[in-house]
Amino acid sequence: MRLDLGVPLGGVTLATIAAAVLPFVSNDYIVGIGFTLSTWIALTEAWLLISGMAGYVSLGHVAFVGIGAYVAALSWQLLPVWLILLAAGAAAGTLALLVGYPCLRVRGPYFVILTFGLSELLKFIVVNIEAALSVSGRVLFGAPDLHDLFYMMLSLAWASLCVALIIRRSRFGAGLRAIRENEEAAETIGIAAPWFKLTAFALSAIIPGMVGALITMRTSYFDPLDSFSPRTSLLIITMAVIGGSDKPLGPLLGVGFLVLLQELLWANLPQLYMIIVGLLLIAVVVWVPDGIFGGLQRLLARSA
Amino acid sequence: MSFQLLLAALIAGSIYALVALGLNLIYGTMRLLNVAHGEFLMIGAYVAYWGINLWKISPLLAAPAAIVLTAALGVLLYYSIFRRAMTSRAFVERIEANSLLVFFGVSVILQNVTALLFTADLRGYRYEEELISFGGASLPVNKIMVLIIAGSVCIASVIFFARSTLGLAIKALIQQREAAAIVGIPIARVNLISFCIGFGMAGLAGVLVSMTEQISPFMGFPFTVTAFVVIILGGLGNVLGSLLGGLLLGVLETFGVAFTGPGYRSIMIYGVFIAVLLLRPQGLFGPGRART
Repeated sequence: MRLDLGVPLGGVTLATIAAAVLPFVSNDYIVGIGFTLSTWIALTEAWLLISGMAGYVSLGHVAFVGIGAYVAALSWQLLPVWLILLAAGAAAGTLALLVGYPCLRVRGPYFVILTFGLSELLKFIVVNIEAALSVSGRVLFGAPDLHDLFYMMLSLAWASLCVALIIRRSRFGAGLRAIRENEEAAETIGIAAPWFKLTAFALSAIIPGMVGALITMRTSYFDPLDSFSPRTSLLIITMAVIGGSDKPLGPLLGVGFLVLLQELLWANLPQLYMIIVGLLLIAVVVWVPDGIFGGLQRLLARSA
Repeated sequence: MSFQLLLAALIAGSIYALVALGLNLIYGTMRLLNVAHGEFLMIGAYVAYWGINLWKISPLLAAPAAIVLTAALGVLLYYSIFRRAMTSRAFVERIEANSLLVFFGVSVILQNVTALLFTADLRGYRYEEELISFGGASLPVNKIMVLIIAGSVCIASVIFFARSTLGLAIKALIQQREAAAIVGIPIARVNLISFCIGFGMAGLAGVLVSMTEQISPFMGFPFTVTAFVVIILGGLGNVLGSLLGGLLLGVLETFGVAFTGPGYRSIMIYGVFIAVLLLRPQGLFGPGRART
């Protein structure tokens, strides 16, 4: 294995193993934070495939989380947990393949708005289906305990990071970056842009689908308005951008920073937390376009 | 077709047109996706609310104050963030995504500062609610006022963009930025004026909305979404298209809900929105050229 890929992969795997001892050495509160951190790592790294690498900024990734959550709620106690996770991932991937083909033909602001519109459309379709079945919220009885869920989410975060690292250094990843920089030029040198984009979109949907299933098991409750909340899509982008959305390790910083800030402030000063998030977002986009990660790299390069 | 429904559609449509026009102006001239547009509407609504509750000022008199305040906030944003950012290559290269994030930050800040100052409670005031009947329909006076004001501002802006030098300059800038600069249009000043008009219109729309609906710090987001639907219908950057798009959405929403039921409102609106984006991304009324 090449060194430039082996070192980050090994580092990520070691960090994951280190995180796996968390339930033995700390209390449920800390494990809960670990669960949240893993959730957002899994989501932002998956989002990165289509939006960071290929430059198609998705403002609708919550659609995949929501569909995974819905699959979990529908199949709860009918299927074993591992099969529910697979089904949730498969459902999200299928959804991405279905909507990806027409959607990935539109670019720039149109794609951003379109993905947002699709996720909202899907939300209201599920709301209406549930209303037609006269179900208001589904409770999941006997969900796995926090420790098991933490291990599953941690594995998803690990998998998501590894996929991002591997793809970034592959020919496929190079093709995606070529599409981001100039799609016409990429096509003239023989990159099959539609297939590259569709594959990246489907890959970036599978893990969020599984994450959605796990989140629903954690809350033991499914409500389409929560599971499809546009806040999730916006938070994914915010975390990725604050950290630096060009490299797979960038979003880690954004996720870590925002999740910890949230733990500190959300309970007592939720409004202050949101104001700080807003200010940070503006500051990073305007003054540090490559995010905390890129900014740190430049600082280190300058002092070295 | 009932006259009552038609009036309701016109009222909703004229508000949508007003909100979308401002949003489209800012997108058209500077390529900025202003997802904080609804928050400026919310600020306008709070100006009217405090005006009538603290100083017994009629919302009609509060409207100019709301326009000035939101336009001033727009100027502040322009000078503090966008004037500099527009000269940075990294920002301009992905201007749509970057501006979306900046305005998302602005929107979160405005919502939460308002919630800290005035609490997140729903608020409302009663204003001119007596019913007037005519032609088989009956409407409260406040809604008639909304229709007259929003409608005349929309008509005035049609004339402004078709006749006045400034309106033509803005349209020229939207169509061909470089060419507009070459023929001597002062880009920076026209950008700034578009910011003022765009945000000011959001503030005015907020005053009008507060006359008939309850307000809260988080009321803006649905208006932002609706405004985006409207400018997609009318065409991104097509200023007059957003007026027609607003009216069309008002008709679609009002009659659609009347015939199917309120549960289907969002599905219908987003369905039309997605269909237009996929089939005719340049908008329903634009020329056959898609801007990407």
